[in-house]
Amino acid sequence: MPTKRILIIDDEETIQTVVQFGIKMAVGWDVLVAGSGAQGIQTAQMEKPDVILLDVMMPDMDGIATFKALQSHADTEQIPVILLTAKAQTAEKRQFNDLGVSGVITKPFNSLHLPEQIARILHW
Amino acid sequence: MKILLVEDDDAFVQVLTRTLKPHHYIIDTVKDGEMGWTYGSTFEYDLMVVDLVLPKLDGISLCKRFRAEGYTTPILLLTAQNSSTARVQGLDAGADDYVVKPFDPAELVARIRALVRRGSTNPFPLLTWGDLMLNPSTCEVSYREQHLALTTKEYELLELLMRDSQHVFSTDELLDHLWSSEKFPSEATVRSHIRRVRQKLVAIGAPHDFIATLHGRGYYLKATPSDHVKTQTARSPQPVSAWAAKPEFTIDRWDADSILISNHLQSPDPQQQYLAFLNDIWTTTKPDSLNQVSSLLQAIQDLQADHLTPQHQSQAQQLAHKLAGTLSIFGLHKAVHLSRQLEHWLGSQDPLPPNQALLMRHFVLALHQTIQETAQIELSQLPHGRSPLMLLVSADDAFNQSLQTIATSRGIQVETVSPLELDTSLTASDAADRVGHPPDLIVLRLPAEPSKLNAADQALSPTPALEHHLQTCTQRYPALPIVVMADQIALRDRLEVARRGGKLLLDSLTPPEQVMATAVHLLKGSKLPTKVMIVDDDHNWLRTLPTLLKPWGFKVTTLADPQQFWTVLQAVTPDVLVLDVNLPEINGFKLCQMLRSDPQWQRLPVLFLSVLTDSNSQQQAFTVGADDYLCKPLMGGELANRILSRLNRVRAWAS
Repeated sequence: MPTKRILIIDDEETIQTVVQFGIKMAVGWDVLVAGSGAQGIQTAQMEKPDVILLDVMMPDMDGIATFKALQSHADTEQIPVILLTAKAQTAEKRQFNDLGVSGVITKPFNSLHLPEQIARILHW
Repeated sequence: MKILLVEDDDAFVQVLTRTLKPHHYIIDTVKDGEMGWTYGSTFEYDLMVVDLVLPKLDGISLCKRFRAEGYTTPILLLTAQNSSTARVQGLDAGADDYVVKPFDPAELVARIRALVRRGSTNPFPLLTWGDLMLNPSTCEVSYREQHLALTTKEYELLELLMRDSQHVFSTDELLDHLWSSEKFPSEATVRSHIRRVRQKLVAIGAPHDFIATLHGRGYYLKATPSDHVKTQTARSPQPVSAWAAKPEFTIDRWDADSILISNHLQSPDPQQQYLAFLNDIWTTTKPDSLNQVSSLLQAIQDLQADHLTPQHQSQAQQLAHKLAGTLSIFGLHKAVHLSRQLEHWLGSQDPLPPNQALLMRHFVLALHQTIQETAQIELSQLPHGRSPLMLLVSADDAFNQSLQTIATSRGIQVETVSPLELDTSLTASDAADRVGHPPDLIVLRLPAEPSKLNAADQALSPTPALEHHLQTCTQRYPALPIVVMADQIALRDRLEVARRGGKLLLDSLTPPEQVMATAVHLLKGSKLPTKVMIVDDDHNWLRTLPTLLKPWGFKVTTLADPQQFWTVLQAVTPDVLVLDVNLPEINGFKLCQMLRSDPQWQRLPVLFLSVLTDSNSQQQAFTVGADDYLCKPLMGGELANRILSRLNRVRAWAS
């Protein structure tokens, strides 16, 4: 199984850094980061990552809008998207699932365990 | 670590030198851009710290020149201008980071450390080699947890060797890296430093050749298995010297979740490394967060004076949201809670009434204090905590609540799912995701079915819902203990529960205390993970397998080099062995044959996993004593199921 490539779209730089470190350390996957929805879409189109971790609440273009934009582009619609969100209510989660995202990971998380969570959600 | 400082302000140079000296950095200072170029292009540095405004050649042009000429040394820009244009220009010119003057010394040192780390082959904040551990943030060195007292130069020498552990350092290289360009020590000086570090290492139990000499080439760190392994190599067909011949391999710790033997240095304990990294990041995050809290406080003061614009209110809400997100990474629960509450208030009413300000101010001040008081991030506060997780499938709210209360008091987390929701596998994974790991135990409590009053009927056909839910649970978590609680348990149901993997049946009237006692008993029983050892020379595959197998609770040890097979086997004593057929030097069939002729290992379950799909290979595998043969590629689940079924059979024989 080849090394996975993950794209994290989160406006918070500390989260980008820590997640990047945690994933690299735990399993050695390649981690790409983007600080905004627009930048994330661009990176996704160019780099075609295996999965996108997407923060729900971001200024300007939020996670939902970003997800919809990703879905509307032919070269990114196939990429599975996992939403990152603060402790969500069941109703909200159902709403996310209805959108067609692959899964939801709630903050706070321990970055070392992210690969495991991702692999489980995507049945890798 | 050697740093070139290009700065014309003498006072500033002094401050900077004083700040960096205790961290064992060797500093060369030059006062203009042209000299910066001469030094930077002539000598080897680990980092260059460059002021923006310089005589002769400014900092940005200097950066550009280095990058244009192909120099990749990290560059940290110092700037008095906190304007984003200057910063963007600097970063565009090829600088890796910038610090605005006046700077916080701790922040500067942390940024320097991060940059040096980025440039090194070992990107982890703690450096380790075998039993030796070096912490660059505290400058402490220990061998098997014993403190090693070193002089500055000795420390620098060891750090250099550990940062690039694959490298054989010539005496010239050591001279270049460890002495500033004004000093001209002889090669004998290097040799005497090496000798003294060796003596100190030997004095606390390290082998004499921990720092080995490659004659005519230089010095390097020799891979050394821990003594624990050495004592067990007596029976190994491969002499211990096999280790010595392969300095690129290292085994750091035997009790780590998985021992990954690969070409790069592995950390001894990922949690500790992660923690050290968080602490490193915290030194810069803390002042940033405090600044954000100050902005929040300003917004609250505006609110109190009744001139908080809706736009500012929305910005403040975003700020609170950002803070909550950032602080949650560090596990600062109280601060996260405070930020979330503020975020909630700021987003709830538009515009906020000024009388809300007093309460909010109180929260902001508490937030400030919590952040201020956090000097160190502790392992125990990190998200997940790894307390056991019980997945409770039940629609009875009263029961759920009382079980939840008891569970909390016993340190067990409970995630409740209604039986109706269990159907979608996504819901099940959601439940696990909320706490960050899969459950350790499932309690399946089904509602009474009033339609089934006829006991005879029930005895004939097991409740379809029960059968269905059990199947869902066992498919998703094949290795987990499942407690089934049902009404009027009929014989057929009992059989069905056992067949589907349920571990225990309880009457649904069983009080929550007793259910919890049963659960705790089962949790203790399942505490010993199955040890799986995998021998395969495909490094990618070895890196991925531990993750794939983790949901099943296996403790995975991977090994790429069959030369070390016996050593690792003895140390790990696996419950199951997974062998590749084609391995360098000795093939999997031979290894299996050797195992079968050894009384200690002849019963060890052996599964072959290979790209060879022909019947000859399969036949040969079974001839040499394989228990199973699987073909690549395959999913983690498939491998896990074959491992489990093999183990179940072995355990059934044993009991």
